Amino acid sequence: MTGMTQSMPGGDLPGMAPHADGRSWMRLIDWIWTVRGELPLPAGQDADKAFAKLEPFFREPGTSFDQAEGRLTFTKKDPLAQDKMSIYDRGELRVESQPGGGVLRYWMTSKSLLFCFLAPLLFVAFGQIIVGVGILAKPDAEQADKKKKEEKDKVRELHWIDQMLGAPAPEKPKKDEKDKKKDEGGKDRFSPTSAYVFAGLFALLYVIGRILEDRLISRRFLRSLSGG
Amino acid sequence: MNGVRVGNRIIGADSPVTIGWENVPKVEGGPFKRLFFTWFQPAVLFSMILFWYYAPNSIAKASTAIGIGIAFRALLLALEWVNPRFKSWELTWKECVTDLFYVGLGYTILNLVDNFIGSDVLIENLLSSFDWDKFAWFTGLPLLVQAFLILFIFDFGQYWMHRGMHNWYPLWLTHSVHHYITQLNINKGAVGNPVELFLIGLGIGGLFDFLPRAALLAGAIGMSIGVYQHINVRFNTPAWWRFLFNTTEHHSLHHSLDFEATRSNYASNFIFIDRMFGTCVDGEAELLGMEGGRRMSIREQMTYPFTEGWKTMKEKFGKADDTHAVPAE
Repeated sequence: MTGMTQSMPGGDLPGMAPHADGRSWMRLIDWIWTVRGELPLPAGQDADKAFAKLEPFFREPGTSFDQAEGRLTFTKKDPLAQDKMSIYDRGELRVESQPGGGVLRYWMTSKSLLFCFLAPLLFVAFGQIIVGVGILAKPDAEQADKKKKEEKDKVRELHWIDQMLGAPAPEKPKKDEKDKKKDEGGKDRFSPTSAYVFAGLFALLYVIGRILEDRLISRRFLRSLSGG
Repeated sequence: MNGVRVGNRIIGADSPVTIGWENVPKVEGGPFKRLFFTWFQPAVLFSMILFWYYAPNSIAKASTAIGIGIAFRALLLALEWVNPRFKSWELTWKECVTDLFYVGLGYTILNLVDNFIGSDVLIENLLSSFDWDKFAWFTGLPLLVQAFLILFIFDFGQYWMHRGMHNWYPLWLTHSVHHYITQLNINKGAVGNPVELFLIGLGIGGLFDFLPRAALLAGAIGMSIGVYQHINVRFNTPAWWRFLFNTTEHHSLHHSLDFEATRSNYASNFIFIDRMFGTCVDGEAELLGMEGGRRMSIREQMTYPFTEGWKTMKEKFGKADDTHAVPAE
């Protein structure tokens, strides 16, 4: 059975088990963007029945699939935001017979997981760029900050309405604070802190996503397979 | 689909929309829930105004504003979970990562670019080149008037920039990417091609001198109003708020799959600017996006204005390809 117009040649897919050839080293790192799993099929459920139950997952806009001989391969392009498998780009599901009953094995790759895994590096690089540009632009920035500081040093008065309502009056910066800030020059404008915070945030999001999406798809498949 | 006549326009002919406040669903649930989601927005706005008006100088700083902004967004994310407007706008892990990537760009690389070619820097250079001073009389006004003017001047400029983006093809190319979002969530305002994110941040506020506290007040008021443009929370927003300020309902229409509905509700904070110029439509939409709701990948979002612009240029000025020519209808 083929869904949509385009099907994927199964021969292009890496095997679900580690290979003894040159690609086996990939298995060491491909957990970063690959989700694998194994689910027991309910008693008496064969490959056709199992894939019929899972078919709604692949009848989504932007999804192409090809099912034959106990194997289903799929690709996704620009899936909808609410597609239950939106993080996956391609993959393979296979039903295997074992002494204890049928087993569904799946293997799916996700560019989103890879992107999130690499995003911290990207933001660390942004941080380094910001620091670098800050060093190059420092003389100009110091000049501009000095001018701004001089402007800020003028103490302005509040409007009489604000004085009456009790809003705190603007203060003139203390001398030592001023000097301290002056020493810092344009550092605030070229601070890499935000970039590093986002690097940390994406590292955390990767860990959450890698665990959450793995469990979600396993639970969704299981629910569909055992559904009436 | 027939659509609904609003003024001289037919809204909702391409995709379903809800027009008129009386047709927009209300918050369902117990009395506490209804009370909370009715008064949350005004309570936050007035609390923010009071806080920034009376906070001692030692607290009234930009770092405090950043901290409050992050905490407030975290709270709103929780509200999206508690009381979503539409189940079909639920925040998924992938959407969250995509949105945060753009928020991150805003805080890092775009911020860096703004240090050199942002409107404030350009205005600063302009003033110093001609030895002009800023409009210093601005600082003599009451704080809340200053804060309102800061916001209004920016919003008025943004209204025309945004309207221009919907009416002039080169600008539309940059803005169209933002219209490919298919749901509204708290950080969706940050999603768009970086060129557009830079353009939409341009303003003439740098011409005016104002008190730091007024700027903080303006920031807090802007956040307490503008943050609801992109959010998946159902509120019973009071009528006076909906009359004055942009809401999720207004902005969902602006992002609707319906072409005519997208040509409305351009202002960022003050929807009364749209009312002034006849572009306001009151209502909401659930189905959002472009091209039938196709979701764009980050890679395409980055390149789309350029590839699409190139395609258009080739069609217009390139050699005609007879084999693929399609007659105009």
